[in-house]
Amino acid sequence: MRYRASVAVCFCLTVLLLGDLAFCASKEQQKIKTSGIQVAVIQADDLSVPAEFQVALYEDLIRQLEKRGFQHVYRDGDRNAVGVADLVVLHSSVRRFKAGNEMARQVTTVAGATSITVHCQFTDAKGQTLLEKDVVGKVRFFGGNLRATYDFAKKASRIAYESFSPANVRQ
Amino acid sequence: MKVRRVLRIVGLFVAAAMASGLGAQSSPTTVKAVQLTGLPGIKQNAKGKLSVENGNLHFASGRMTSDVSIGSIQDVIAGSDSQKAVGKTIGTISMAAPYGGGRVVSLFRRKIDTLTVEYRDADGGFHGVIFTMPPGDAGAIRKELAIQGAHTALAAEPARDTQTPSGTSPKEQRQ
Repeated sequence: MRYRASVAVCFCLTVLLLGDLAFCASKEQQKIKTSGIQVAVIQADDLSVPAEFQVALYEDLIRQLEKRGFQHVYRDGDRNAVGVADLVVLHSSVRRFKAGNEMARQVTTVAGATSITVHCQFTDAKGQTLLEKDVVGKVRFFGGNLRATYDFAKKASRIAYESFSPANVRQ
Repeated sequence: MKVRRVLRIVGLFVAAAMASGLGAQSSPTTVKAVQLTGLPGIKQNAKGKLSVENGNLHFASGRMTSDVSIGSIQDVIAGSDSQKAVGKTIGTISMAAPYGGGRVVSLFRRKIDTLTVEYRDADGGFHGVIFTMPPGDAGAIRKELAIQGAHTALAAEPARDTQTPSGTSPKEQRQ
């Protein structure tokens, strides 16, 4: 009786493990393969976004993509990106921007949040859209206003990591 | 005779003043600055000295240095902001003070200038660097860069350099 129970438990665990492996494999197959990712300059359209925010968004995005394991992250206008096969280009434009106030945040806790909504569009080298998403970067409690750009970059790089599979990614 | 002597002394003074003026013009503009992000080879939030010399925007932080060729600069934007007067760790610890007393510390803020420099590297890749520095210094660095040939939107947007009459930055006014 005890033997049967242990066999049943082992069987269940094996099924679970195999199921998990199959799920992971299918998720991996869904990823689009790319040799490199190029980050275009952040556009603000008609919004008056301070220059330091636009630059911080761009630089944080590049840094976070490199941290995620994309070893070929090209900057806007980089000539080395021209001949890269399967290049993915990330176009970003700011859709909404609330500057917030660090002092109000720290004094009241509930007011003064900084928020920035950026529309991210991943395209191939020809300009065909592969993925589109709105990403929001926020600072609610601690940190300066520019920390919202770091929050955005972390979220956007996570989307890139989950959707694209670089050939030489660090797992 | 007396008049001649006085004239000679005045002439000497004028010559000395002109010489010192010329010397000041040729010496590089150096300011204390914090590099928030963007310079290759320099850590984020690194404190150092920013100067314009030999056709480069030069930043030195300890042993690490970084140069940006003025010819490669596409735009220089100066702005103003404010930051906490009490430092990071002490400021955070003070939040735990009873009866919300620590929040009073957050009310003490000091004005700073921000300087955003946009440039392209040798491969054509776009870079952006953000510095913060004491009030007034960003305008001086920007002017110096413009004199030495950097592309700036100096004439197009003079209001971006100036503080608003209320003393708050344009960023804070939008809230």
